[in-house]
Amino acid sequence: MLSLKPPFSPHSLSPSNNPFFSFKPLLKPYFSPPQKPHFTSIKSLLQYNRKPELAGTTPRVVVITSGKGGVGKTTTTANIGISLARHGFSVVAIDADVGLRNLDLLLGLENRVNYTALEVLNGDCRLDQALVRDKRWSHFELLCISKPRSKLPLGFGGKALIWLVDALKHRNEGSPDFIIIDCPAGIDAGFITAITPANEAILVTTPDITALRDADRVTGLLECDGIKDIKMIVNRVRTDMIQGEDMMSVLDVQEMLGLALLGVIPDDTEVIRSTNRGYPLVLNKPPTLAGLAFEQAAWRLVEQDSMTAVMVEEEPKKRGFFSFFGG
Amino acid sequence: MSNFIVLIEIELLAICPLNRPSNHGGKLVLTASTTDSTVSTQSDSGRSERNAFNLGKSFQKLQQAVASLPPVVVVINKHSGANLILGFFIATTCLIIAVRIYVARQLRDTSPGSVADLVRRGQLRSDRRGISKPLKYEDPFNNPLVKVSNSNTSVEMCGTVYRLAPVTLTEEQRAIHQKRRSRAYQWKRPKVFLKEGDAIPPDVDPDTVRWIPANHPFATTVSDIDEDLAQNNVYQKHGVPFRIQAEHEALQKKLEALQGEQKFNKLVIDPVNAKDFERAFRTQSKSHDRAESGTQNGQLNESKPPKSDPLPENSDSNAASPKDEV
Repeated sequence: MLSLKPPFSPHSLSPSNNPFFSFKPLLKPYFSPPQKPHFTSIKSLLQYNRKPELAGTTPRVVVITSGKGGVGKTTTTANIGISLARHGFSVVAIDADVGLRNLDLLLGLENRVNYTALEVLNGDCRLDQALVRDKRWSHFELLCISKPRSKLPLGFGGKALIWLVDALKHRNEGSPDFIIIDCPAGIDAGFITAITPANEAILVTTPDITALRDADRVTGLLECDGIKDIKMIVNRVRTDMIQGEDMMSVLDVQEMLGLALLGVIPDDTEVIRSTNRGYPLVLNKPPTLAGLAFEQAAWRLVEQDSMTAVMVEEEPKKRGFFSFFGG
Repeated sequence: MSNFIVLIEIELLAICPLNRPSNHGGKLVLTASTTDSTVSTQSDSGRSERNAFNLGKSFQKLQQAVASLPPVVVVINKHSGANLILGFFIATTCLIIAVRIYVARQLRDTSPGSVADLVRRGQLRSDRRGISKPLKYEDPFNNPLVKVSNSNTSVEMCGTVYRLAPVTLTEEQRAIHQKRRSRAYQWKRPKVFLKEGDAIPPDVDPDTVRWIPANHPFATTVSDIDEDLAQNNVYQKHGVPFRIQAEHEALQKKLEALQGEQKFNKLVIDPVNAKDFERAFRTQSKSHDRAESGTQNGQLNESKPPKSDPLPENSDSNAASPKDEV
C-alpha cells in the first residue's frame, strides 16, 4: 500500500519516535501535584492563514449522493462538514438515511443522539432539542432523521425535510451557512426525500464502471428534479493503478459523466482508522493526503469553484545514492 | 595462465565454426563463418592464413600482459590491514542501513491513533503536539510539502512525481451530456402513493403515482401523523413540545375527572353508611372526622392506580411504535 503520509512530518521527527535520538533526562523535573482532570473544549488552531470566500446565497443546501452504496458519501459529508465548521461557517449536517444511520458514528456522536427529526414531527421535542452540537466544534450540528427501526411516512417525507430546512433558516440563532444532507444509497423513497430541499448536489463516485453507471442515472434524476448545480468527487483513487492502466483515470470518469470536478480523494487507510476513532480525517495533524484533498474540496465548495487539473502519477522518482541513508 | 589461454584457443577452433578472429585496433573480433563451404574462394584461404598468424600474435601479446600483472592474492596479502578496515566500515554501513529500514518499517506498522486519542481526550493540546512547530499553510492549495515545478506541469509529493493533466471538459460537452441524460432518464417526482388495489385518482398524472406493497417494511401510505400538526411541531421554537404537553393535559384531565367521580360517588346515600350519617347528626364533629378519614383513605386507594396507569401507557406507546413499524 502506498504510504500517503508526508515523510517530513513533525510526528516522525519528534524525539519520542526516533530511536536514534532517544535520551532520558538525568534529573527528573519537579511536577506539581496532579490536578483534577476536567474536560475542556478542544479547539485546534486554524490550520490555514486565510479563509475561503463564501459564494452563493445562504443557507446553501447541498445533498451528497451517489446511487451506489459504499462509495464514501457519509465520509465525504463528515469531512467536508467539519472542514467547513473549522473555517468558521455554521453547518448543519442532516443524516437523511431513514433506518440505517451512520453519520453519527463517523463524527463520534453516537451516544449523544437522543432525539431525531421523527420526534420533532411527533411533537416529542423541539427542533433545537434534536440538534446535536459537537463539543469540539461549536459551529457544527447534527440532525438525524430517525432512529433505526422507525419509518417516516412516504407521503410527506420530502415535505418534512423542506419544513426542517425552512425552520433551520428561521431559527433564533440565525440561518446556518451550509445545510449538508447525507443521502441514502439507491434511488427510491429515501433518495427522493433527501433531494427534495436541495439546491446543489455533490455526486460521489469511485472510478469503477458499476459506480459510474449508477452515478449517471442519479445525475439524470437530479436534473429531472430541477437540481442543475451538480459537481463530482471521485473517491478512492489509486494513482498507481491508474498508471498501470488497471483503473480508469479521473479524466476518463469526467469524460463519461460530463460533470465538473470538486475533488479527487486518494485511497487512504487512514479513513478506516478515523472511523474507528470517531474523529474525522480532516482533523488529523499532520494532515493525510485524503484529508488534504477533502479540505481542498470543501474550499472549492465554499467558493463554488471546480478543479482545473488533476494529478497523474509519473515514473517513480530515481533515488540518489544517499537516499539509502535517509531511508 | 598460458595454459588457460591455449585451452580457450583450442576450444574456439574446435567447437564453433568461427572465422579466425581478426585484429581491429588491438581488439580481437570474432565473426561467424558461412557454413556453406562452396562459397569459399582462393582469396578467402589467403585471408584465413593471414588471420591465423594475427591470432597467434595477439594471443602472445595477451599472455605477456597477464604475466606482467601481479596475482590478485599477492596484492591482497600486501595491504591486508587497510582492507580489513575498509571491510569493517562497509559492513558497519550496511548494518546501519538495515537497522534504519527495519525501524522505519516498525514505526509504519504501529497504529498512529494513540496521540490523536490523547488530544481528543484533552490530555494534550493539539497546537502544542511535538517539539517542532505546527505546520502552517496559507491555504490547502499551498502545502509546503507539495513541491510544484517551475512550469506548473509536475508536482512532487511524498516521493512520487505527478504530472498535472488539465481538465478537458468544455461547456459544449457538458451540454451534450445533459441532453443525453434528459433523453435517457424520464422521471417525475412521485406525489401520490397508493396501496395495491387502490384506483388512480382521475386528475393525477400516472407518472407521479407510486405503488407501495402492503408488506414493505419501511413505507406506509397511511400517515399516522397529521401533516398540519407535524408542520407546526417543526416550526415550534419555544415551550413544551406538543405531544408532551398534550399528554400532560390529558393526564391532568383524567385526574380531575377521577376526583370528580369520587365526589359524585360520595353524594349517593349508601344504606350501609346511612346509619353512620344518622348518628353523625347527633354528634356532628365525630361523623365529620370519620367522613374525612374515610374519604382520605378512599382517595389514597384510588389515586394509586391512576398514577400507575400513565406509566404503562407511556411504555406501551414507546414499545408500540417499534412493534407497529416492524
